[in-house]
Amino acid sequence: MQQTLPYKDWFADTASAGGTRGSSNPPPGFNDYASVSRMVTENAVIVFARKDCCMCHVVKLLLHGHGVNPTVFDVDEANENDVVNELSRIIGVDGSGNANRPQFPAVFVGGEIFGGLEEVMGAHISGELVPRLREAGALWL
Amino acid sequence: MEDGLCITAVGFLPFVFLFLIEFKLTHSRNKMNSTSTHFVPSRRMDIYEPIHQMTMWGDFKENNCEDLSPPMILEIEGKLDNQSEETSHGTVGPSSNDQEASRRPDKVQRRLAQNREAARKSRLRKKAYVQQLESSKLKLIQLEQELGRARQQGLCAGGGLDTSQLGYSETINPGITAFEMEYGHWVEEQNIQISDLRNALQSNVGDMELSILIERVLKHYADLFAMKATAARIDVFYLMSGMWKTSAERFFLWIGGFRPSELLKVLLPHLEPMSEQQHFEVCNLRQNCQQAEDAFSQGMEKLRYIVAEAVGAGRLGEGNYLPQITAAIEKLEALVRFVGQADHLRQETLQQISRILEPPQAARGLLALGEYLQRLRALSSLWSSRPCEPT
Repeated sequence: MQQTLPYKDWFADTASAGGTRGSSNPPPGFNDYASVSRMVTENAVIVFARKDCCMCHVVKLLLHGHGVNPTVFDVDEANENDVVNELSRIIGVDGSGNANRPQFPAVFVGGEIFGGLEEVMGAHISGELVPRLREAGALWL
Repeated sequence: MEDGLCITAVGFLPFVFLFLIEFKLTHSRNKMNSTSTHFVPSRRMDIYEPIHQMTMWGDFKENNCEDLSPPMILEIEGKLDNQSEETSHGTVGPSSNDQEASRRPDKVQRRLAQNREAARKSRLRKKAYVQQLESSKLKLIQLEQELGRARQQGLCAGGGLDTSQLGYSETINPGITAFEMEYGHWVEEQNIQISDLRNALQSNVGDMELSILIERVLKHYADLFAMKATAARIDVFYLMSGMWKTSAERFFLWIGGFRPSELLKVLLPHLEPMSEQQHFEVCNLRQNCQQAEDAFSQGMEKLRYIVAEAVGAGRLGEGNYLPQITAAIEKLEALVRFVGQADHLRQETLQQISRILEPPQAARGLLALGEYLQRLRALSSLWSSRPCEPT
């Protein structure tokens, strides 16, 4: 089965170690706009997370709890703005205004935006999360 | 109508007798006497007067008596039945010794009747006064209880267990005061909804009506979460402290509110009978809540770690730490989102319960939940009124 990250992992949760086990790619980084889109489409589940963000940590734990090993894209201050703009473009919202700018954590499932912590939590409680994950091929059970 | 001051005759035996019985100075215009007595000035008894102003009960008029001047110790007000055709107003009439009993029996009779009447009225007034005292005493007890509760909930500085932990300052934010008031109303409305649910279930109303009640309860909880979100933006530490709740509720506090899985555990037996499918789904729900709560708890741990790191950054012991504190405060803004997400979890759990269950079951469940919380509040009340053990 898949190897999940131990829960108390965040002490060692540095940029490159975050959740990329099982992926043969080099650690995700913002090289160009294309890489963000590519990662969204290539990964069953990907979480765009700010380092040291506790909400992001909760989302990761929730997904791990289901046996999912999401790819985690660590956003830092340098590339945050660009990532947000690119994500807005992918989602199809107007990223320039403040109202609809995607917040972190931003979770994509099966190439589509799933939402933030609130949406993941809601789906988790209502029982919709697991089918969606299975659909996207993130779960095999 | 008798409105003035008058000097009572005390010297005459029948009236002395009455006086001794009634402790009251009756006033008869028939027998003015120059003898006067010192009495404590009695004041008009007003039902809204603070209690400490009640002096010796003596006289009080139903009408205004503004022309009473308090410092005059010789002045006593009297209320009379008015059929007196004699003079009255504050002047001492000529001594009426010679109008004594022997000479004019019918007049004496009338006087005696008047006295009886005055005595009767005096007894009625006394009764009214005592009743007023009793109700004021009840009100005082009530106020003391409320004050005790308020103190216990930390409205006054120095109350409650969390002040040291929070460094809660004495200045109270008006937004927080508004929240507390709103929350008080929320609890009252909650109690009403609980008894409505109880009545509906007892009278076996239909599913449609139950669904309406259920919706109402769920919306009420949603209102609470909205209120809390506003309060969190004002002072998230205050919200997290649970000082706005009762002490027993604080004991069970988890990220500013109840822990969903714990509540489900309490409610489970009250949801029976359930189908096997429902049973499975409810247990599933409880498990999902538990997982979500664990994730949240670990997120909180991380936040504490981050804040601690920020506070302790740089060299401790140098005495200059404003940048560290500022950085830490910035990190703490995540706490507002945390409380919001925890409330969202609570909301989702409640919604899911009502989806899994049929209206009668969901109504029973929400009733059980409501009453459980009521019991916790009652526990807190009883707790705070326990006598202190002498050390």
